[in-house]
Amino acid sequence: MTENTSTFGKKTGGDLHKLKIQEEITGYLFILPALIIILVFGIFPIGYSIYMSLFNWQVTKGPFVGDKNYLLIFGSWQNLLILLAGIAMIVGSFIIWNRAFASLAKGKQLAHLLAAIVLILGGVVFVTGWIQMYETGNSEFLNSLIVTVYYAIGTVPLEIIIGLILAYILYQDIVGKEIFRIIYFLPYITPSISTAVVFQIIFSSRETSFANRIIGFFGVDPLRWRFEAKPVLQLLGLKVSGLAGGPSLALISIIIYGIWSFIGYNTVIFLAGLGNIPKEIYEAAEIDGGSRWDQFRYITIPMISPVTFYLTLIAFIGTFKAFNHLYVMRTPSAGTSVLTTSLLIFDRFYKANQYSIATAQAIVLFLIILGLTLAQNKILGEHVFYG
Amino acid sequence: MDNSQTVPTTFVKSKRKERTVVQIIGKMFLYLILLFGAIIFIFPFFWMISTSLMTLGETITRHLLPKVPQWDNYYQAWRQASFSKYFVNSVLITLGTLAGLLFTSILAGYAFGRIEFKGKDILFGVFLATMMIPESVTLIPNYLLIRGAIIPLPGKTWINSYWSLTIPFMANAFSIFLLKQFFAQVPKELWDAARIDGCDHLRFLVQVVLPISKAPVMTVMLFGFTASWNAFQWPLLVTTRDTWRPLMVGLYGFITEAGPNTHLLMAGAVITIIPILIMYFLTQKQFTQGIATTGLKG
Repeated sequence: MTENTSTFGKKTGGDLHKLKIQEEITGYLFILPALIIILVFGIFPIGYSIYMSLFNWQVTKGPFVGDKNYLLIFGSWQNLLILLAGIAMIVGSFIIWNRAFASLAKGKQLAHLLAAIVLILGGVVFVTGWIQMYETGNSEFLNSLIVTVYYAIGTVPLEIIIGLILAYILYQDIVGKEIFRIIYFLPYITPSISTAVVFQIIFSSRETSFANRIIGFFGVDPLRWRFEAKPVLQLLGLKVSGLAGGPSLALISIIIYGIWSFIGYNTVIFLAGLGNIPKEIYEAAEIDGGSRWDQFRYITIPMISPVTFYLTLIAFIGTFKAFNHLYVMRTPSAGTSVLTTSLLIFDRFYKANQYSIATAQAIVLFLIILGLTLAQNKILGEHVFYG
Repeated sequence: MDNSQTVPTTFVKSKRKERTVVQIIGKMFLYLILLFGAIIFIFPFFWMISTSLMTLGETITRHLLPKVPQWDNYYQAWRQASFSKYFVNSVLITLGTLAGLLFTSILAGYAFGRIEFKGKDILFGVFLATMMIPESVTLIPNYLLIRGAIIPLPGKTWINSYWSLTIPFMANAFSIFLLKQFFAQVPKELWDAARIDGCDHLRFLVQVVLPISKAPVMTVMLFGFTASWNAFQWPLLVTTRDTWRPLMVGLYGFITEAGPNTHLLMAGAVITIIPILIMYFLTQKQFTQGIATTGLKG
């Protein structure tokens, strides 16, 4: 066990044992300060949150209510089961697509056909569960999940793609590379409250606001930006209502901030990842006459995929945790169209004093993040090329 | 990404000579993209600074630059909006948190990297898992804890106190992970030699390991500094009086207080980012390197 046994080979077994115990005690003593803080402020709260969510807890503890706070979210456990069954079927369809009937002659087509059927059925089951939940459960919470997903879809892919492009360009022979990198990283390092305050002004509804000046340059009438709760598709003249209309213009403003503030981080990490790709591969491709694009497509993208995977995961989880800039940039008139789950939970707790409802929602959010992490690890992880 | 496993060897052949002209144009195009990006990233900062030097009227009619820079705006934000007080609070909170963070994570990082004890791997796994927990989950119980509603605290409540603003951030899995990675690479021979000289772990850590670990310790400090300086949600929750508020909460409060006084708000925002900018420009190489290595290893 201990690395130093060999040095002290002369000693007797009893002494060795004593040494080993001493070593262990030192180890525990060393981690003790960190352990206490992480236990008290990081792990204990999870247990206590679960405990709180089982009571009717306004500012102070009330009577035990069991699963009532969770039922308020889902409507009924049956709804949740239907929803989960739908997710399981969708996941199952991916497994079937990849693995089933491999031994049969026409196995592949058969597997794909079956997978498609299961996928469609799973989708139907999922939507059924969701609609029932929406009608009988807490539509405000479910709504916030959709807003969060909009926010994630709006930010993550663009952050990744732009980050990779900028990193790839910077990786070429560029004069002033360092300066560009410093500038790109600025939005990530500066406090989000301070920069969100600027975006507040840039995206204000004033006619002279910068965002309105820009669109005015292209002949578009001033918009209300952060104050606009209408979905963008409706603004474009399509007659869709509710969530089908896509994110509100207010959420788009926040998404633009999110992208702006996060690209630099991705660029820096991609840049480091690009540095790890052996130069010989590019040289070999060049000798074979591969164009820049070919090199990017067939060398860079596959070789960088572990980094892409890591960044996607971090960014996706990040959107579910995002709080500061959303809190600063939201407006009362944008209402629930920018109310992500983390904001909603904070409001329930801080403004409405509904502690137990907030903790129950927080636990559900935590489970969603956990599920997403595991799923992403499994699904994406298999398709990542580890050089 | 079906064919990601293989690098195709059949590329389209192109002639060398044609490339040079195309290459120059291509390169210019790349610089254009980079410049365009740089402008977009810099622009909000420019907007922040230029607005902070405007008169109230100018913030409404809005041109790129103020006619005469109003340096007085900074004085007003600093004195009237009590940014001086917030600033001192932020400095104290950040320094306190940093000291605690370094203490806990150096010791724990060393133990996880170099000492064998039972349950080490499990404990480390648990530590790492805490990185995934959203603040929404820990916020409410921690708030009750700080208020003294779960267990009795010395001094009854820690609302409006430096304790609540610093102690919860004095340890995190990320810093421990970062230091552990580095400490584990210190050659075993050094420890064997030190041990023969009668050195124990603590002395070895302080006299041998730390002096050669400036880079990772620096990285932990930089991350700790920005995290603490930029913190918002928790300080918002546990401070109810101006006397205890750090800059970020003060700035947020100022949004509503300042009302239409955009120029003062921007002056306040500039004040909040100056320390971060100074720190970043002094250590940017270290910082980006730190982020890159942790990002890649994570």
